[in-house]
Amino acid sequence: MPTLIRWTGQRAELVEDPFTSVGDEDSVPRGDVIVSLQRFQTEGQRLLAEGRKVGVRIEPNEDVEELEKDLPSLAVVALAFPKFLHGQNYSSARILRERYGFEGEIRAVGDVLREQARFMVRCGVDTFEPADGSTPDEWTHVVTRFRHVYQRAADGLAPAFAERADEGARNGV
Amino acid sequence: MKALTGNRLDDGEAIFLAHSGEWVSRFADAELFESDDAALAAEAHAKTQITLVVDPYLIDVIPSEGAWAPLSFRERVRALGPTNKPEHGKKTEGGEAIEALLHAHGAARSKGRIELIRRK
Amino acid sequence: MYRYDTIDREMLADRVAEFREQCQRRLAGELTEDQFKRIRLMNGLYLQLHAYMLRISIPYGALTSRQLRKLAFIAGTYDKGYGHFTTRTNLQLHWIKLKDAPDILEHLAEVGMHAIQTSGNDIRNITADPHAGANADEVDDPRVWAEVIRQWATFHPEFSFLPRKFKIAVTASAQDRAATKVYDIGLRLHRNDDGELGFEVLVGGGLGRTPYLGPTIRKHLPAKSLLSYLQAILRVYNRYGRRDNIWKARIKVLVAGLGAEGFASEVETEWSKTDQAKIDLPDTELARIRSAFAPRDFESLPATSQAFEAAKKDPAFARFARHNVKPHKVPGYAIIDVSLKKPGETPGDCSVHQMEVVADLAERYSMDEARVSYEQNLILPHVKLDDVPAIWKALDAAELATPNRGLVTDIIACPGLDYCALANARAIPIAQKIAMKFTDPALAERIGELPIRISGCINACGHHHVGAIGILGVDKKGEEFYQVTLGGSPEADATLGQVLGPALPADKVADAVDQMVEVYLRERKDGERFLDTFRRTGLQPFKEAVYADAH
Repeated sequence: MPTLIRWTGQRAELVEDPFTSVGDEDSVPRGDVIVSLQRFQTEGQRLLAEGRKVGVRIEPNEDVEELEKDLPSLAVVALAFPKFLHGQNYSSARILRERYGFEGEIRAVGDVLREQARFMVRCGVDTFEPADGSTPDEWTHVVTRFRHVYQRAADGLAPAFAERADEGARNGV
Repeated sequence: MKALTGNRLDDGEAIFLAHSGEWVSRFADAELFESDDAALAAEAHAKTQITLVVDPYLIDVIPSEGAWAPLSFRERVRALGPTNKPEHGKKTEGGEAIEALLHAHGAARSKGRIELIRRK
Repeated sequence: MYRYDTIDREMLADRVAEFREQCQRRLAGELTEDQFKRIRLMNGLYLQLHAYMLRISIPYGALTSRQLRKLAFIAGTYDKGYGHFTTRTNLQLHWIKLKDAPDILEHLAEVGMHAIQTSGNDIRNITADPHAGANADEVDDPRVWAEVIRQWATFHPEFSFLPRKFKIAVTASAQDRAATKVYDIGLRLHRNDDGELGFEVLVGGGLGRTPYLGPTIRKHLPAKSLLSYLQAILRVYNRYGRRDNIWKARIKVLVAGLGAEGFASEVETEWSKTDQAKIDLPDTELARIRSAFAPRDFESLPATSQAFEAAKKDPAFARFARHNVKPHKVPGYAIIDVSLKKPGETPGDCSVHQMEVVADLAERYSMDEARVSYEQNLILPHVKLDDVPAIWKALDAAELATPNRGLVTDIIACPGLDYCALANARAIPIAQKIAMKFTDPALAERIGELPIRISGCINACGHHHVGAIGILGVDKKGEEFYQVTLGGSPEADATLGQVLGPALPADKVADAVDQMVEVYLRERKDGERFLDTFRRTGLQPFKEAVYADAH
């Protein structure tokens, strides 16, 4: 039963989640796993060598820079939002996408609510574990609610000033 | 002695739980709870009424001029209205209940409000 | 004035539609209060003691007559016939209903106004020098940059869930009328030795429980790099600002913890890794925004106006001219201070009628511009000296001509416990009682410059730390008490006030101010202002006078 919401670039869809989130004390099951940064730093290479897909979970007070060298081998970075007010990982998402060019999945976990959908997508998050029972249609609705943006972020949308420049160019200004 | 207060969701007005179970804007019509159990039960129920009242909490109430008034100054301001524009509040109603509010003397914050702040 | 284009208008329309839907979901119980509260705050809607309060954004304090008339309409239709101008140059309406809020936002959108990010842990209204465009010594018009920042900050996806609110102020003159030293980020425009336009960047100023004066973290930032540099500052704050304790969550605590140099180094490192070209505005966009604030078509007038000079024969007008009329960079023009501080009234309050009067005057006499100052007064920035007598008469008839700009009755006071859910004590009655002791304009004039600032709680919305006399309401066992501080100043020589002594009960505060004024009048030398005398004598003589009964 799909539980994960993925933003495709046009709309949100329900997708299967092949990953198991593994706690620091748990034994690692077969298949793809998401582990904490600390666990990845001690066991990550072994897990990857076992041929599975590996993801790392980043807490708000952890520096995503610590993953820089490992990003090419990571399938997922899971960014934690323990309470939706904890906005540190909006920065982490942008750093992953815009500074490191990370092309894997960036997943929001924790107190993930549909009213944050647009902010998260703009920062480069593409996968969500919603905590409020919201549906993909509701996520699509929230993400597409605004016709314009004022600033560049990780989603590649042209900011208002670029639209204006295009408009000017079209009008021969 | 306690009363239960909150703000009405749709217009933000300071309201009080009346004996009928309705939420009213006049403190004089508020239900007074002698027993903590009854007060807490009313508060618990009020917290489920999310389309009626926002952040309900219990306030301490003291006798004043033959009637009752909130213990805390802040709650008396909520019950009466702003002191710089009495015509915008409930003061102009006059009467015994208003007199009781005007002449009460406060001491200490309402424990109910402290709990509310702590919860947040 | 910046005029919204299609994109700006569609931005507001989409926001209004979004909020309307969110309100409906809340009213229907589909959103809990916890979930809705954040949304509500990001649209400037507070729940206070008696009703919802809507805080309408007035970007860098600038208004057209059309906008002011719309505010009057909203105050009359949806509120109780008045509004309250704040120390952040916004307008608060204290009696709003949640179910009306979407309609109100739609009305505001019609005139290019909104309540976006006037609350919440986001980047708030950008404030600037209220005399922008009229200052002789302005290096550039600070509103250009305030508008640049405003657009960049609006709905910023990375910075909408900061540890706490974030406030930025911009100034461009030697005299700092934007209090940049007590802001999260203060930006001071200047030209460097090569004549290049840039900013001195101050970070970590603020009032509240732990007041700080912001240190300079960068002496010169090239102007065109402003946004990428701001992104670096905000990102460091978003990632490393404290979130465990609401009283330690402002950037000032982070800067104090790392030290100015340590913080600056973090910012510079982050900035050096930023793809600046992606964030900074292209020259075309800068030019477009700048053109909105192009110098106005001033007439060529003689520096002295016969009509203005002749009118001074009326002593009341002469007094108004002395205090509420300020020099303008263009000969024959002036800046008028419109006082919202009539003694006995609520400081900063403005009735629907008064708003309409000021709108008419702005349209007719001030090139359709009005401003809000953080002292909670209004300003007509571009009037001809010839027209001042007529303007004065109209203001006087509407009780807007109290000649007290900067004087003892020009009190800043927050709404306090009469309205605000955060307050410990009332501020408005204290302001009223103090002002009523100095209703004689000759006395107020004799006393001279004496900024009094009153806050009803430690959040310091009344800026009490930087008042020459500061008054802070505290709750002592449920009774209202007031702590008095002396010697604060928000200007370039910024200082924070010193505590005078034990907190005073409500009924002693006005008397205390009276006593301190007497001490000042007795002690002052050679044209000293109250602040200057205090800086020379220290607390002692004032303390003795106020606490004499204690012995």
